[in-house]
Amino acid sequence: MINEVRKAYNQAIFDTDKILAMRIVHDALDRGLSPEDIVFKVVVPSIEYMSTSFGQDFGASLAQHFMTAQIAALVTDEMLSKFTSPPEIVGKIVIGTSQGDFHGLGKKIVIGCLKAQMIESVDLGLNVSPEKFVDEAIEHNAQIIGISSMMLHTARGENGCLKVRQILKERNLADKIKIIVGGAPYRYNHDLYKLVQADAWAENGIDAGLVLKKLLEEIKQ
Amino acid sequence: MITGFDRLMAAANGEKSDRIPVFCNLLDQGAKELGLSLKEYYSKGEYVAEGQLKMREKYGYDNLWSLFYVGKEAELLGCKNIIYANDGPPTIGHMVFRKPEDIHNMVIPDDISNHPEFQETLKCLQILKKESGDKYPICAYITASMAMPAMLMGMEKWMDMLLSGPFDLRDKLLAMTSDFFKKQLVAYRKAGADIIIYSNPFGSPYFVSAKLFNELSMPWMEKDLQGVDRFGLVYYCGGARMNQVLNQVIEKLGFATFYLSPFDDIAQGKQLIAGRALCAGVINDIKLIDWTYDEIKAEVKRMLDAGMKGGKFFFGTLVMPLYIPEKNIRYMLEAVYEYGSYA
Ligand code: B12
Repeated sequence: MINEVRKAYNQAIFDTDKILAMRIVHDALDRGLSPEDIVFKVVVPSIEYMSTSFGQDFGASLAQHFMTAQIAALVTDEMLSKFTSPPEIVGKIVIGTSQGDFHGLGKKIVIGCLKAQMIESVDLGLNVSPEKFVDEAIEHNAQIIGISSMMLHTARGENGCLKVRQILKERNLADKIKIIVGGAPYRYNHDLYKLVQADAWAENGIDAGLVLKKLLEEIKQ
Repeated sequence: MITGFDRLMAAANGEKSDRIPVFCNLLDQGAKELGLSLKEYYSKGEYVAEGQLKMREKYGYDNLWSLFYVGKEAELLGCKNIIYANDGPPTIGHMVFRKPEDIHNMVIPDDISNHPEFQETLKCLQILKKESGDKYPICAYITASMAMPAMLMGMEKWMDMLLSGPFDLRDKLLAMTSDFFKKQLVAYRKAGADIIIYSNPFGSPYFVSAKLFNELSMPWMEKDLQGVDRFGLVYYCGGARMNQVLNQVIEKLGFATFYLSPFDDIAQGKQLIAGRALCAGVINDIKLIDWTYDEIKAEVKRMLDAGMKGGKFFFGTLVMPLYIPEKNIRYMLEAVYEYGSYA
């Protein structure tokens, strides 16, 4: 049954049909699929499936990514309350857009994808100051700071990632808290994350999960 | 003297002038030219016109801009707050729609030309036309119906409404923004804009699937362009790629000029267009910030090698960030003037 559900769910996402995707999930639950299986065997694989076809010709588009993330978050939220035992949380990230940047879509997609992959996100919203990124990371005990920037100057400027890095250094936190960045300018220059002294970047919300898991491993060691 | 117009017309007709046309989109840089802050600079049409004229003179490229910043369109529809930075373009700081119902209350101004928020743009256009009108094409930027709501409610809410509804409200909004596009077009053309950049990220396969492109993007673009003279109209996806849709856009929408993305393969784009339209190869101007002299030359050469064959080609940039050192702008242009020469 799982294969059949997975296929139908993927198709609904591919067609950006939220209502149909939710119906497929609820039908599967009624037919006895466990909430755990829905998250780990349907939703998470669909995220990976989207990842492989993204960016290729008319492969998965941003609209489909948006749907993948939105529905993944919705389903995961609903299923978590039905889990028999609380799932293991892999890590925690505070995420927001950099100071002066009001573009929230990228961050939203990232958060949705991470949720199903059991990475907890704290959404700091838009136009977040460097100090706030660090303070909130400490407050929430997060291992990762995520910074989304859609414009070059908010990615590269003095009140963006560079300043977050500086504060982490000043407070001796560089080993404990890592920085991941993303957004349009990073897609145009794949080395930009190094120039702004981030630890990593991801091309899209779906890859963000994979990159984050690697970063979390590094912190553990 | 050969002018920018001469070069562009030659290229459009598949002929050769002295070199390929070069579109270099410097906007915010004008403030530095005049020694003004960005906020001061964008407060007056006279300043923007002067900045545009000075920079074109200084660097020798072929186009002029009447665009201040994209958020100006939102100001025409009631946006009350634009946020200025020292080192980047102004952005929208106030969303006109807070709740879905606000959409019902929006009114599209009937006469853009007489709208108070359009007056500085108009002044800018008048000066550009007077000073340089018959020599260098004046570009205007207009957002397509499908992209405009992103500036009124934010990309996140718009994407949700676009894909999941309520669809009656979505279509009502799109009908209004389509009307807005048309009315802006009339105002810009009346004021003398020669080239209209039709900006639609949702016309890119990066944004939408083939299904959505056919079922949503196409019909709304058709509506935007109904009864519109295609002359001087440029298909642009905000920097997102477009090769996969070129054929459809030529056949169904009749565009005759395309402004590719740095992510598009230029040779492939030209092949797909197959001589039916003029095509700009567009440099990755975010990388331009850090490239060395040699890297810049090599990249320009690569682009022109791919694009110049068969003519109907010009060179372009995206929205050049302020972070690009002046010397790199010069290196880029020198390389285009050299490799793009027909002499
Ligand atoms: C759509 C678009 C617009 C639209 C809508 C803008 C909006 N969002 O409200 C319109 C047409 C209105 C517009 C206007 C402008 N734009 Co614009 N726009 C774009 C475009 C095509 C896509 C940006 C977007 O919204 N993407 C949606 C996001 C979700 O997609 P994404 O970036 O792929 O996101 C993924 C990844 O980046 C990643 N990610 C994102 N954040 C994070 C965070 C972390 C931690 C991780 C791991 C990953 C991650 O995951 C996401 C999901 O998969 C880009 C070019 C491009 N091809 O990307 C230019 C672009 C962003 N715009 C640009 C500019 C300059 C502008 C303007 C400032 C122009 C001007 N001078 O006025 C205005 C500003 C408007 C404003 N807000 O006031 C530039 C920015 C670079 C620069 N030069 O500074 C770009 C890159 C185009 C260019 N190269 O010239 N724009």
